[in-house]
Amino acid sequence: MKKIKCLLFTLLMLGSVAIAQKKTITGKITNQSTGEPLQGVNVLAEKQKGGVSTKVDGTYSISVDKTSTTLIFSYVGFTTQTIIIGDKTSIDIALVEAIVTSEEVVVIGYGTQKKSHLTGSVSKYQNERLDETPVSRLDQALQGKIAGVQIQNLTSEAGADPKIRIRGVNSFSAGADPLVVVDGHPVPDGLAFVNMADVQSVEVLKDAASAAIYGSRGASGVILITTKSGKAEKPKYAVKFSTGSKTQYQLYPMMTVTEYTNMLFYEAALKLKDPSITPPTASQIASNNERAAYVLENQILGVATDWQQEALRNATVRNLQANVSGGSRTLKYFISGAYQKDQGMMFHSEYDRFSLRTKLDAELTKKVKLSFNLNPSYIKRERPSVNFIDFVRFQSYLPVYHNEISAAFVNQDPLWVNIRPGDYAQARHFNGRVYSGLMPDGNLWTTNSASSPFNTANNTPKSVMDTRTINTNDYRLQSSGDVTVNIIPGLDFKALGSIYVNYSTGLDFAKRNSNRDGDVNRGVYTNQFSTDVLSENTLNYTKKIKKHSIGVLAGFTAQQTKVKLDRQVGLDFPSDNIPSFNTALQIEQPSVDANGNLLGTYTFSYREGLLSYLGRVLYSFDNKYLFSASFRRDGSSKFATGNKWGNFPSVSVGWVLTQEKFMQNVGWLSNLKLRASYGISGNNRIPNYLFEDLLYGANYPLGGGTGVVFTGQVPSGNVASNPDISWETTKQYNFGLDLSVLKNAISLSVDVYRSKSSDLLLQQPTMATTGALSFINNIGELQNNGIEFELTTNNIRTKNLKWTTAANLSQNKNSLLGYGGVPEFFSYGERSEVYLSRVGGPLVQYFGYKTDGVWLSQQQINDAIAGGLTTNLSNVFVPGGLKLVDVNGDNRLNEDDRVITGSPYPDFTWSISNNFTYKDFDLSFMIQGVQGGQLVNGDPNYNETKRYNKTYNANRWISPMFPGDGKTPYSTVGFNWMLTDYVVEDASYYALREVVVGYTLPEKLGKNLGLNSMRIYFSGQNMFFSSAASYRGINTEARFNSGPYATPLADGYQRGSFPTPKTFLFGIDVNF
Amino acid sequence: MKLKHYIILLCCGGLFSCNKIIDLNSESNLNTSTYYSNTAEVKSALTGCYNGLQSALYNEWRFTELRSDNSKMGVTGSTSNINRELSDLDMFIPSPSMVDIFNYWRANYNNIRNCNIILQKLGVVYNPANGTIAFNAIDIPIAEVDRKQLAGEAMFIRAYHYFNLVRLFGGVFLIHQPIAPTEAPGIDRSTVQDIYKLIEADLTNAASSMNSLRFSQIPTVDLGRATRWAAKGLLAKVYLTLGRKPDAITQLQDIITNSGYALQSNYANVFSITNEMNSEILFAVRYKAGGLGLGSSFGNDFAPLGTGSTVINGDGDGWNYPTAELDTLTNGDNRKPTLMSSVGSGTSLRLYVKKFLFPVTLANDGESDWPVLRYADILLMMAEAKGYTQEGLNMLNSVRPRAGLPNYTMATITSLAQFEEALSQERRVEFAFENQRWFDLLRYNVTMTTVNAIQSIRNHYADEYAAHYSTYLPPTPTLAELQGYITTQKLLLPIPQREIDTNTQLTIAQNPGY
Repeated sequence: MKKIKCLLFTLLMLGSVAIAQKKTITGKITNQSTGEPLQGVNVLAEKQKGGVSTKVDGTYSISVDKTSTTLIFSYVGFTTQTIIIGDKTSIDIALVEAIVTSEEVVVIGYGTQKKSHLTGSVSKYQNERLDETPVSRLDQALQGKIAGVQIQNLTSEAGADPKIRIRGVNSFSAGADPLVVVDGHPVPDGLAFVNMADVQSVEVLKDAASAAIYGSRGASGVILITTKSGKAEKPKYAVKFSTGSKTQYQLYPMMTVTEYTNMLFYEAALKLKDPSITPPTASQIASNNERAAYVLENQILGVATDWQQEALRNATVRNLQANVSGGSRTLKYFISGAYQKDQGMMFHSEYDRFSLRTKLDAELTKKVKLSFNLNPSYIKRERPSVNFIDFVRFQSYLPVYHNEISAAFVNQDPLWVNIRPGDYAQARHFNGRVYSGLMPDGNLWTTNSASSPFNTANNTPKSVMDTRTINTNDYRLQSSGDVTVNIIPGLDFKALGSIYVNYSTGLDFAKRNSNRDGDVNRGVYTNQFSTDVLSENTLNYTKKIKKHSIGVLAGFTAQQTKVKLDRQVGLDFPSDNIPSFNTALQIEQPSVDANGNLLGTYTFSYREGLLSYLGRVLYSFDNKYLFSASFRRDGSSKFATGNKWGNFPSVSVGWVLTQEKFMQNVGWLSNLKLRASYGISGNNRIPNYLFEDLLYGANYPLGGGTGVVFTGQVPSGNVASNPDISWETTKQYNFGLDLSVLKNAISLSVDVYRSKSSDLLLQQPTMATTGALSFINNIGELQNNGIEFELTTNNIRTKNLKWTTAANLSQNKNSLLGYGGVPEFFSYGERSEVYLSRVGGPLVQYFGYKTDGVWLSQQQINDAIAGGLTTNLSNVFVPGGLKLVDVNGDNRLNEDDRVITGSPYPDFTWSISNNFTYKDFDLSFMIQGVQGGQLVNGDPNYNETKRYNKTYNANRWISPMFPGDGKTPYSTVGFNWMLTDYVVEDASYYALREVVVGYTLPEKLGKNLGLNSMRIYFSGQNMFFSSAASYRGINTEARFNSGPYATPLADGYQRGSFPTPKTFLFGIDVNF
Repeated sequence: MKLKHYIILLCCGGLFSCNKIIDLNSESNLNTSTYYSNTAEVKSALTGCYNGLQSALYNEWRFTELRSDNSKMGVTGSTSNINRELSDLDMFIPSPSMVDIFNYWRANYNNIRNCNIILQKLGVVYNPANGTIAFNAIDIPIAEVDRKQLAGEAMFIRAYHYFNLVRLFGGVFLIHQPIAPTEAPGIDRSTVQDIYKLIEADLTNAASSMNSLRFSQIPTVDLGRATRWAAKGLLAKVYLTLGRKPDAITQLQDIITNSGYALQSNYANVFSITNEMNSEILFAVRYKAGGLGLGSSFGNDFAPLGTGSTVINGDGDGWNYPTAELDTLTNGDNRKPTLMSSVGSGTSLRLYVKKFLFPVTLANDGESDWPVLRYADILLMMAEAKGYTQEGLNMLNSVRPRAGLPNYTMATITSLAQFEEALSQERRVEFAFENQRWFDLLRYNVTMTTVNAIQSIRNHYADEYAAHYSTYLPPTPTLAELQGYITTQKLLLPIPQREIDTNTQLTIAQNPGY
């Protein structure tokens, strides 16, 4: 009682003093990084009770006792600031967001977790200005941003899917792409349709323990995309617009036919000076066909065509988006709309996307929450009908269109009397003719028989490109709704229903005579309708008892996918201008090719289903000892009864050392956590119904006349079934360390992992005597080991200048542990180059002959043969040809001398991003690189590319006296390059991937214009791209992934790559 | 929250009936475990076997015509894989890894598998020990007469494939019932004799199982199916190949007497697309144009390259050009316009194979059937079996009038050697580009004394060297090298390397010389 009296007295005294000596201070609090006003900031005067909080516009007014010398501004998520009052009456503060908020929350699949409590390996990418990256897709924008996630642009065609690998490749034939989950719904093409600006964050579940909650689909990692939600605030509008252009970074250095022929004659002149060889006779300098091409270009037509330029244009990219968000405590909304146009560098290549998103979060009662999400999108894509390589390898003598001269010339041949100026010029028009003209040495040359400069029946790439268009339209709708009911305190039941619909319609229309003369016009109409329905029911219980914190999740999910595909092929239309199916004179009937692919007109449908039970326990003691365990049981329609169900458990632990008493004195250490995890995840991504032999149509005409078609049914000639197949499983250990020092100024995360994938589903080759080529089987074992570093530093943090750096580096090493008892096997590429899979080594290694420069002279060869060197290979002993190395030293060059010449897997991948802010200006740039690993360059596949590409001719061997650099073979002689290490090139590169320079309008200026904020920026992609010296192509990242390269067992091949794009963008960003 | 709310929520979760979600079978395709349950289904499986003839035939000319003295690879300067491989075949230097060889092998065994499935379902069991075929009891409701007829057709197709395989590859793998991928590596190559044992059993049983309708009695709807006569004709060729002339004569005589097949009066009519399955066609692989996926690509494959749509819509590939010798040989022969034609003139003249070239709307979608066994063949096989006798000469003469050529007599043909040469040339022209020539040359090694495969090919190289083989890009073979390439061992193709590599249990022997 006495104490109370005492207190009352004191209070009264203080109060009276205060009344006597008060002063009012006003001001405004803003967010330093965005410039937006902050509502609800606590403003407190030192030594004074009570405080005020800022209003919606960020303003405050506080009356303070004159004895108070400082004001304290605090706000959750921001660094508290203390300001000395002095004689100021107005104090405006821009609060700085706290660097690492220990309460940062991470999405982990079926829930969230505090970042500080994470025990698995989960990387989070918080979206800030992702949409300022000058690329058109979310996955492309994420390149280089997350350690352990390798994203590679296999082609620079507009809108093409990049290849994404999380912690290496862990499957032979099942899909090795990560599972993509958009707002809880696993959808196959989530990275294609989600608008970058709508993304709140992207989380990547990298270790098996984290991914095991996705069970049979988690083995290749999981990418979780969370979209933005509204906040309880007044409506905020944002409009963004950007536009720019895209050009090629570089082109192939191709010679014109004239340049090439001049080179041949120059070389011949040199050879004449070399006494050690028989000088070439006139007919040996250049072939008749080459001479004919020279005469055509030089004397008959007089023009050289740059075919690469005929393929390319300056492309336009454009992006417009608008969103509004806001709401009250009980109803929040986020609504956005976007339009994106991404033109390809090549003609007839474009990717346009329209998307809308509506997200509502409602609190119906205190116990019931509801959220609703609606995301329709439309993607229109046009793809070029011709590969860029066809332009690269086309000879310059041929014009694109006939002119008066060329038409008159070809009209002399009775076959081509109807050609008129303006028609497409075709190689065949100039073939089978007798040519005569002056050669570079001044001599007149005339053929004694017909010459064909380019012997092909195919039309020129430009005419094919212009007469065949390939369009697809994707109409997607992703929509979900969920209800969360709070049953008892801490226990929530959530029911989520989600539907994803994709209607994809395409038309591939080739006009009359498109590919070859006499081709009828042909239209392929495809309509694919996919629906994917997900029901997810989870119970979530969280409880804190003293220092124990427990979270329990239990759930049941069911997902079913239905796909229905219609394909109609119409032939022989009366007009090229009305590509409407009803006007087709003929319909291409259904049939099946030797590989079991359906052809012609047909419909096809299938269903896939997945039933799952899942559970998880998260436990922590005193924020110090962390534990997590999860379990999932999946049943899949992909396997036969008895093999449908699989179990996927995981466990992980963590220890936050900085919470321990003995670490409290280490002042420089802000956070130190050790993590360890083990989990099992699976992979079921194989084609459907491989557990049973299906029958395919194999019709046949029987009966009189031309016959009547009878229906026939046969099993697949490609894959034989196996009723015993089941899951692939990946078991992975992960050890991690999270470290922050100097008040979180430097943060480092390190993860080390080792995974073993076994029972790998493989289309194992079988003897064709079975009637099939392969059968599916669970054999094979792969191991991936790796280490990942993620580092963020805050280098400078002053009022005007800020500089932060984020860097990551990851290394992954895979090795093949087993392959059904076979020690090694070969996969072959399109030119018989060999991809070796050897147990104990990486999954793929290039396998071929080692070379040591070129044979300098016949004398050198004779000496070698005299020394006993023999061979059973062809074209080995040719002066100027590649000199093979007798690796095993048995003096015989044969298949046994083949060695490993490289591997597609990089040693490590890395990136460094820097962000500078100086007053209203900001600059950020990212350098991303891949170090180590090789590629197989298939450009010298083609005689044309080999002959006309300067890269393969500079410093080449000409004669013993003029051996060039002694390393470059004469392009048309000697051993097949494709089988040697000569085409294996270093795939390392680093690139200035992104640069963004921005200027944010000062707030006052913005206010005068009636805006919350405004920003303009310039950004650039691939402003600088550095490839390894030994690389001879123009796009280091490009790889083939179709045909023989559709399998991960033949990886690392490229040819005729589409050039690397270089993009500039200007953007403006207005918020009001 | 009341209980009912929970119930509603749980019902939402239970909307999916569990088993229905994951117990799924293909909804667009039938499967082997439930099919073949009645006559109609077995019949459609058999139709699938007829279809399988097409993909096997697709590559066959590469090994039979191109390797013979009838034709040569047209595009000598090309370095594309497809053209290179054809050139290598043409020169008898094929690699065991050659794609076309494997594709041919694969197509044959694929269709053998399809036949084996049908025969197994029909209870037809081959006993490799004694070379007999038994008809065991079956549980499919199928009439015995249908069962015999269907089994006969399947046996014919199986024998047809094995006959081609054994002649091209030697002792291949004897697969006479469906085998699982795991069983295949345990099976090694069989001997040539064992393969012929199956062929003989199949054809003998096929002939006796199928109906004995004469050509004119065959229901129109069944034209194109294998018949007793086709089986006998093929069996006769097997016997000839094995040097069993008397057995061949028995079969041939039965056909000549009882089958009702006859020659067409006009050679062009035999191949006309408006006269398919005429009285001369004992068996053909049938094609049908019209965007059905059942058209023949031979018109485009063989037409000259780079002629736009002037020769055939969609241009030609120039893969198979007639040799100059055949061109000369057919001068004054009425059959020539059906066999070949040319484009260009002077130095740019190009001959091309025209037998299967009819106008097409779509490229690679020709109508022409490919004759496998013609009545003319029956007559000329009889000539071969009878040898240099008046009977033999009569048979040889039977196809000459419609060619506008005079009959041979004992006066104009005075020796066995002349007879054999005349028969060889007659067959060469009569069956030009029908995949007969190479097999004929091989068979002559057995049935004739003066004409043989190796010498014929060497002569062919000598004829064509200057104009053709010497124009190959370096390394250009010399004539001597070229002639050295063709040896007794090279009469067989290599076993596809993939088959040898895929077998992880046995070491499969490659044919000698590869």
